[in-house]
Amino acid sequence: MSLWTMVIKMATGLERTCAIFFLTVLFSLPLGMIVALLRMSKNKVVSGVTRFVISVLRGTPLMLQLLAVTYGPYYLFGLTVSKNKLIPVVIAFSINYAAYFAEIYRGGIESIAKGQYEAAEVLGYSKTQTFIRIILPQVIKRIMPSVTNEVVTLVKDTSMAFTVSYQEMFTIGKEIANSQTSFMPFIVAGVFYFVFNAIVDFAMGKVEKKLNYYQ
Amino acid sequence: MKKFLAVLLMAAMTLSLVACGSTKDSSKKFIMGIDAEYPPFSYMGDDGEYTGFDVEICRAACEKLGYEFEIFGVNWDEKLVQLDAHECDCVWAGMTILDSMKEAGYVLSAPYYENAQVIIVKENSGINTAADLAGKDVAVMLGTSGEDLLNNDLSDMRDTFNNLITCDSFLKCFTELGGEAVEAVFVDYPVALSYANENEGYKILDEQFGGEQYGIAFRSGDEELCKAIEGAVADLVKDGTYAKIAEKYPDIIDNLVFLR
Repeated sequence: MSLWTMVIKMATGLERTCAIFFLTVLFSLPLGMIVALLRMSKNKVVSGVTRFVISVLRGTPLMLQLLAVTYGPYYLFGLTVSKNKLIPVVIAFSINYAAYFAEIYRGGIESIAKGQYEAAEVLGYSKTQTFIRIILPQVIKRIMPSVTNEVVTLVKDTSMAFTVSYQEMFTIGKEIANSQTSFMPFIVAGVFYFVFNAIVDFAMGKVEKKLNYYQ
Repeated sequence: MKKFLAVLLMAAMTLSLVACGSTKDSSKKFIMGIDAEYPPFSYMGDDGEYTGFDVEICRAACEKLGYEFEIFGVNWDEKLVQLDAHECDCVWAGMTILDSMKEAGYVLSAPYYENAQVIIVKENSGINTAADLAGKDVAVMLGTSGEDLLNNDLSDMRDTFNNLITCDSFLKCFTELGGEAVEAVFVDYPVALSYANENEGYKILDEQFGGEQYGIAFRSGDEELCKAIEGAVADLVKDGTYAKIAEKYPDIIDNLVFLR
C-alpha cells in the first residue's frame, strides 16, 4: 500500500473523529456550566452529590466510561448495543468533559472578587443580571487558557473511541498497520492529530485575542 | 537544605536509571508473549493465573530447557512491534503463520495446530449459511487472521456485508453479537466453540474458511532459540507430556499436528 492510499484511507475516518470532537464540545461546554452551578449550589445535598459525581468522572478512566456507556446497558439490563456507536461515544465524552469543564468554570467564577456582587447589588442589578452581564464575561476571559487545554486533549482522546469499535481515524490506522505490518500509519495519525490541534490552537488563540478587549 | 534534597533526589534517580540498565543477568529468562483473552490456548484461569494449552506447553518446555519462564500479555494488534521491542521473546498463543511475517524476517516455528475461521451467530437469527450474511453487520477482531481473510481472499464476501466492524478483543465481538449490534462474528474455530459451549443461544455455521496453521514467532536472528524450543516441544511429545496436557483441552485436540 502506498503512503498516499494510506493517507486517503485514514482521512476518511477523519470525518468521524471530527464528529466526536465537535459534538462533544457542543454538548459538554453548556453541560459543564450546569454542573458547575449545581456544584456551587447553596443546598448542601445538591452540591455534595454533584461533587461526588464529578470525582467519579474525573477519578475513573475515560476508556472505562466509554465501555460502561456502550456495553453497560447490555450487561446490566439486557438492552441492545447501539449500532451507531457515535451516540454512546458522544454521551460518554460529553459527560466526562463536562466534569472537567465544570471545575474550570467553578474556578473562574470563584476567582471574581466578592465586591463586584455587592457593587452590582447597590446599582440595582438582579442576581441573574449580575451573573450574565458582569461575572460571566470576565469568567470566560479568565478560563480560556484552561478550556483550550481541555479541548486540545479532547482531540487526542477521540482515538479512544477505538475501544468500542467506532471506526474513526486512529482505528483505521490500526487496521492498516496490522494488515501491512507497518508502523507508518501511526506516524500518519500523529501528523493528522498535530495538524488538527494546530488548527484548534490557532482558532482558540484568535478567540482569546478577541476577548482581550481591555488591553 | 532544599537544594541538598534536590541533589540527593537527582542522584537517586540517576542511580535507578543505571540499575535499570544492568538488570539483564546471566540466568536465561524466556518471556512468552500471549493474547491473554484467547481461550483455550491462553487465558486467565479461575485462580487469576494465566493458563491454557499453549501456556502449559511453553512452561513445560522452559522447564526442560532450564529457562526461567515468564508471561507477557501482548496487545494483539501490535504483537510484532512488542516482540521487536524485546517485551517478549516470542509470540505464542494461537498465532497464525502468515507469509507476510516470513517476509518481514521473523523466525517461525513449524506449525503445531490447524485452524479454520468460522461464523458464529445467534441461534434464533435465521442465518444458516454465509450467503445469509448479505446486508448484515459482522464483527471481527482486529489483528486476527479472520480480519486478514476478509480483507483479502474473502473480500467478495465482505462486500456483501452491510458493515464490518473491528473490535480489539474477542469478548467485545461477542458482546456486540449478544447486544445485537452485529448479526455475526467471524472468528477462529476453537474460540467460537468454547464460547458457544459456555453460553446459551449461539450456533456455529458449518462452513469453514481459510485453512491456516498456528506457530510460534521469534525475532529475526533468533533461529537458535526457535530450534531449542522446538526441540523441547518434540521431547514433550515423545515422553507423552504433550498428549497429557492436550487431553485437558478436548476442543482443540483433534487439530493438533503433533498428535496425528
